[in-house]
Amino acid sequence: MTKLVALVPILPLLGFVIVGLGGKKLSKSLSGWIASGVVLISFVVSLILFFHLNQNSEQEVSIKLFDWIAAGRFSADLTLMVDPLTSIFLLVITGVGFLIHLYSIGYMHDDEGHNKFFSYLNLFVFFMLLLVMGSNFLVMYVGWEGVGLCSYLLIGFWHKNNSYNNAAKKAFIVNRIGDLGFLLGMFLIYVTFGSLNYSEVFSQAKFYVSDEPVLIAITLLLFVGAVGKSAQLPLYTWLPDAMAGPTPVSALIHAATMVTAGIYMVARSNILYTLAPTSLHIVALIGVITAVFAATIGLLQNDIKKVLAYSTVSQLGYMFLALGMGAYTTAVFHVVTHAFFKALLFLGAGSVIHAMGGEQDIRKMGGLKSHLPTTYLTFLIGTIAISGIPPFAGFFSKDEILAHAFAHNKIFWLLGLGGSVLTAFYMFRLLYLTFFGSFRGTHHQQQHLHESPKSITIPLIVLAALSVVGGFIGLPEAFHTKHLLKSFLSPVFADSDLRMLPAEITHATEYALMALAIIIVIVVVLLARNKYVVKGELPLQDGAPMTALPKLIAHKYYVDEIYDSFIVKPLHWIGTIFYRFMDIQVIDALVNFVGKATVWSSDRVRLIQTGKIGYYVFVMVLSVALLLLYISY
Amino acid sequence: MKSLLLLSGLGVGAMVAELINIKRFLFPLVCLGLIATIGVSIYDWNTDIHLFNNMLRLDNFALLFTASLSLITLLWLIGAKKYIETETSISDKYALTMFTLLGAFIMVSYNNFTMLFIGIEILSISLYVLAGSKKNDLFSNEAALKYFLMGSFATGFLLFGIALIYGVTGSFHIDVVGEYCRANAGNIPTMFVAAIVLIIVGLAFKVSAAPFHFWAPDVYTGSPTMVASFMITVVKTAAIVAFLRLFFAAFGYIPGTWQAIISVITVLTMYIGNVTAVFQQNVKRMLAYSGVAHAGYLLIALVALTNLSGGAIFYYTLVYSIATLMAFHILYIVSDNKNEGVGFEAFNGLAKRNPLMALGITVSMLSLAGIPPLAGFFGKYYVFTAALEAGRYKLVILAVIASLISVYYYFKIIIAAYYHKSNKAPIELSPAHRFLYIASIFLLLFLALAPDFLIRWAK
Repeated sequence: MTKLVALVPILPLLGFVIVGLGGKKLSKSLSGWIASGVVLISFVVSLILFFHLNQNSEQEVSIKLFDWIAAGRFSADLTLMVDPLTSIFLLVITGVGFLIHLYSIGYMHDDEGHNKFFSYLNLFVFFMLLLVMGSNFLVMYVGWEGVGLCSYLLIGFWHKNNSYNNAAKKAFIVNRIGDLGFLLGMFLIYVTFGSLNYSEVFSQAKFYVSDEPVLIAITLLLFVGAVGKSAQLPLYTWLPDAMAGPTPVSALIHAATMVTAGIYMVARSNILYTLAPTSLHIVALIGVITAVFAATIGLLQNDIKKVLAYSTVSQLGYMFLALGMGAYTTAVFHVVTHAFFKALLFLGAGSVIHAMGGEQDIRKMGGLKSHLPTTYLTFLIGTIAISGIPPFAGFFSKDEILAHAFAHNKIFWLLGLGGSVLTAFYMFRLLYLTFFGSFRGTHHQQQHLHESPKSITIPLIVLAALSVVGGFIGLPEAFHTKHLLKSFLSPVFADSDLRMLPAEITHATEYALMALAIIIVIVVVLLARNKYVVKGELPLQDGAPMTALPKLIAHKYYVDEIYDSFIVKPLHWIGTIFYRFMDIQVIDALVNFVGKATVWSSDRVRLIQTGKIGYYVFVMVLSVALLLLYISY
Repeated sequence: MKSLLLLSGLGVGAMVAELINIKRFLFPLVCLGLIATIGVSIYDWNTDIHLFNNMLRLDNFALLFTASLSLITLLWLIGAKKYIETETSISDKYALTMFTLLGAFIMVSYNNFTMLFIGIEILSISLYVLAGSKKNDLFSNEAALKYFLMGSFATGFLLFGIALIYGVTGSFHIDVVGEYCRANAGNIPTMFVAAIVLIIVGLAFKVSAAPFHFWAPDVYTGSPTMVASFMITVVKTAAIVAFLRLFFAAFGYIPGTWQAIISVITVLTMYIGNVTAVFQQNVKRMLAYSGVAHAGYLLIALVALTNLSGGAIFYYTLVYSIATLMAFHILYIVSDNKNEGVGFEAFNGLAKRNPLMALGITVSMLSLAGIPPLAGFFGKYYVFTAALEAGRYKLVILAVIASLISVYYYFKIIIAAYYHKSNKAPIELSPAHRFLYIASIFLLLFLALAPDFLIRWAK
């Protein structure tokens, strides 16, 4: 069993090596199938590991690959481990990952960088698996940086377009800010606990008093890392821009897996956070604000992928809200359901973009329902799931978050409910504008409208099915059934649960809340239908006059502009000064001086070599005399 | 004993070969002899034989260097065959080479001051002749004369030092002198210290350490290119090992008396060697100064004198010799057998004229400059580690700066080979040379992969 653990990440690495080195020598279909095949095998192995953990009382399976670093008292080894938390992430990463690989075979078929794309995708899966399988913070950090690198490479995959390159750079740089927080947090962990291994750190942490300053510092620093990777306020700006990458990349990296790394990190270090309620409060606050903030921006976006991107930011906010209330299981639950329906929505959007010949503006779509029936149906399921309508997946996880919020803090609940209302509105707006009404594109586009090939529709159908039934792994206790996910994950969060159980509410209240949420959402959906289908309203064209508030929202609250003028430009300015003055005037001059001085002294020193023997012997005797003089004193 | 007899036999045999006219068998015979000495060293491993009333001691340390010197000579011979056999008196040169190596063997296995002196003299006298072996060349003659005059002078100092040691201790035996040093560590007479200084001068001359290095650039430049490459590798290795043996067994007990002196010599050597090399326009002369500078790095291990020193010096000399030999062999071909040497422009366009030679000179220069991942880097690494273990931080910092300077002149050749154009005809290599370059490049890369593997033998 332990040997199998190593197989999970090694297979995608192998795929990366084969497809990457094979380059143009491998045919397109072969490299696509190799890349998908390795992820499929990883998925099968993950399933075996999952059932093994489920049936046995064993809490984790681990394998030590080798001692990695040993320097002085510091040592870190490369040990891979699978416990229930990791197991859930493994299934999501390899399962959804495989479907997206399969989808890419059809989607990237005509791209000249086909093989490169698949090698990057495999590399990404490898690093993501390393991130969740490492048994210490250092290995997690390696995975963390690795997925960041792959994200950078894949956002800028079509590197001939310069704005895509800028988007890639932006993603990388903004993530670096978060990474710095992670790194500092890791240093502090080492200084405090003398180790980076989860088992040692967490077992020592148990003996700390609640809200010890050092724990608050560690958790906040780690959270800065999570904010960067999981695109929360104020570091979320890179994620909408990251939509420049090919759509499967948006689905895999920027919706289903990589951006949930922050959630994983907090859930993994749950004991640290539980012992630092102050940090937890900040996590919840940032989460709920991001959830609402991003949802409002989603209302007025016209790019099909941008709407989904802001929606992702918003949903990640919900996950952090759940974490911040100590409801770690709920956060993981939402990660799983979100992975299903958001991957589905992105892939559906990709299918639409494919049919539209690259067009992403929903104002130029409309009436696609009859042309793309499978895509429409699956997209509809995804939309229902994210809006929180039962019995689809999103309902259960979101309801659980809202129920916790109601018990925890009424303001959080109100904001969360507001956010879910906004979500339902912008998602149905997207659906109606894309698939209903009449076609608004060019005549040429209309002639080429077609349903996507099988390799694209099959993943859509599978994900749609998962979006329908995915919620049943976590039925609310009000239904008097077992919460499967909770009992499976309970060993991971046992220590936290001993100290602080998330607040509970009565079953009657829970039913009431559910009913309320469902009614509001259905009303909102009907409103959206009335506005966009019955009345046939369209979003304004770019540059059309708007009132103040919509204008503010349509410009995304000018956050990018603010960052640009207050951070980017001053930094540029300082950089220019340092370049002109420090680099050229001081450092270059110094370096040149050293070089010239060496040559000059060489020119002088070589003169002592006169070529005359008498002189040589004289110097020798003089030296001997000086040495003898030296020793006689 | 076996390897000494073998080499003397080969030397005498080579002279006889002139009489009975079997010169064309000499090359394979000598090569076989060298391989046999390596074999004998492996055979004798771990036996610790004492010869001639304990005047020679064939311990593992001695055997290790006997083998490595034979290997270096073998590599040298493959490239130098052309030089040896195009000039007159072929068998003399073979014989002299064998006698030089014999002297070197004695220098790495002596256990008695008389043996040290005899070894140095056997080595030196053969070399005086070899330096002048290009009889019609004025530079060659000048080099031989200069080397002879200054060499005799230095031997004088050495002998004087040995005499004073005898005066104080009443013995020529290293063991006895070592025992004396240990017993009187706190109370060493000035006469004994003066003896140490004089012996240091004699040996420093042989390793070409400043300020006793003046002969080296002139002699290396004037001697036939192939002879110079032999001197700068085999002789330097033998001399530094003689140094190390003496200090490990005897003077190591009283470091206070000599460490400051050798530290100063080390720093002077590194800086005079490196700084002067920067301005040289003649590649052969540049390599000569580079040889001086490397003597400085080697002396660092001597100053440190820890358990690592022996291994560090073994690894360093081997790697340095392979890289330097390859550079000289390439220089010899590039300079069309011109003895006085050529400027950097001779390397122009080498990458086009012969890619293997360009690669060879690049690997050689990078290794000498100590750029990872080549073996030269690990050589410096071990020497510096030994010094750091001994707490010699300032020395290491100075050495690192000195080796930075060296990058300047080593890279000049690489730049010429790859970036400058030339309209000269491509160079055809003989199979022997091709083998030599490939083997050397391979060794410089391979030894870098497993440095510990070699170092372990010298412990």
